Amino acid sequence: MSSWRAAGLNYVRYSNIAANLVRQALKPELRAAAAKRDDSSVRLTPWKDGKPNRSAAAASE
Amino acid sequence: MNNFGRILAVAPPCAAQQQQARGMATLKAISIRLKSVKNIQKITQSMKMVSAAKYARAERDLKQARPYGEGATAFYDRAEVKSTEEKPSKLLIAVTSDRGLCGAVHSGVARQIRNELAIDDSNTKVVCIGDKSRSILQRLYSKNLILVANEVGRKPPSFLDAAKVADEIAKLDFQEGKIIYNKFKSVVSYQVSDLPLYSLDAVSKAPKISTYDSLDDDVIKSYMEFSLASMLYFAMKEGACSEQSSRMTAMDNASKNAGEMIEKLTLTFNRTRQAVITRELIEIISGASAL
Repeated sequence: MSSWRAAGLNYVRYSNIAANLVRQALKPELRAAAAKRDDSSVRLTPWKDGKPNRSAAAASE
Repeated sequence: MNNFGRILAVAPPCAAQQQQARGMATLKAISIRLKSVKNIQKITQSMKMVSAAKYARAERDLKQARPYGEGATAFYDRAEVKSTEEKPSKLLIAVTSDRGLCGAVHSGVARQIRNELAIDDSNTKVVCIGDKSRSILQRLYSKNLILVANEVGRKPPSFLDAAKVADEIAKLDFQEGKIIYNKFKSVVSYQVSDLPLYSLDAVSKAPKISTYDSLDDDVIKSYMEFSLASMLYFAMKEGACSEQSSRMTAMDNASKNAGEMIEKLTLTFNRTRQAVITRELIEIISGASAL
């Protein structure tokens, strides 16, 4: 078992953290373009019994 | 004569007065209408320009995103992964966006899901990406919704978006699933398609998994997590591209229709104006000749 999984990460999170570090290590002129690929606006709401479960959404954030 | 009869039927006591008032009012009403249609045409035209620019970008992005989806589906095909359960708990993922005014892209995806739910909705959960599919499915199948992602479609989808959604989906319990999205074919056409999802169990028991060398449970688990995120990313990119292309055509058609309407309205406007002028002339002339 790899150390990152033992720390409670899954592969996607692990590789996102790695990708983030690579972006930070880029030369300044390339960093700006790479930073644009590193944003996310999506918001998630769990639903239960036909209604949005807001309290759970707040808890997960 | 016919016209006169209709007016009589509506308002018999003051028919003559009404008609006069109506003639004056229509001229004003038509010009207001004309102005608003012209404004709408301007709006739809600029929306078309905007979505054309966005579409160009989405198509470029899509070319880069395609290998993600193709790689993941190729793995499932080669390994011949099949669901092991008799009555699996299913998960359907609708990939749409928050934005409307783009033809039938969102309703196509929602319809596909509705058809699947109509067959059997007892053991099926739905994940909606984008507010549009949520608002369509909410009416009939709100009990089946389990996760909704919004704020999609304002900006082109990024891998981080897909990773976030995948992260949440991985926490859900399901044995087989489908990502339903619009596959972009060309500027004028897209098709509702699906990508399969399987559980870890089904993949490790697949008959031809031995095609792939040196797999242990850990590798398969990591790959499954990654493939879910990359398939979502691919589906979101395909969806975004189809949406923009469809919006482009929709707005083009709207501008064309507005153009037709403007032509018709201008014609009636001019006719009515002429009629008013003629009537006033007749009134003046007959008044003068009566003296």
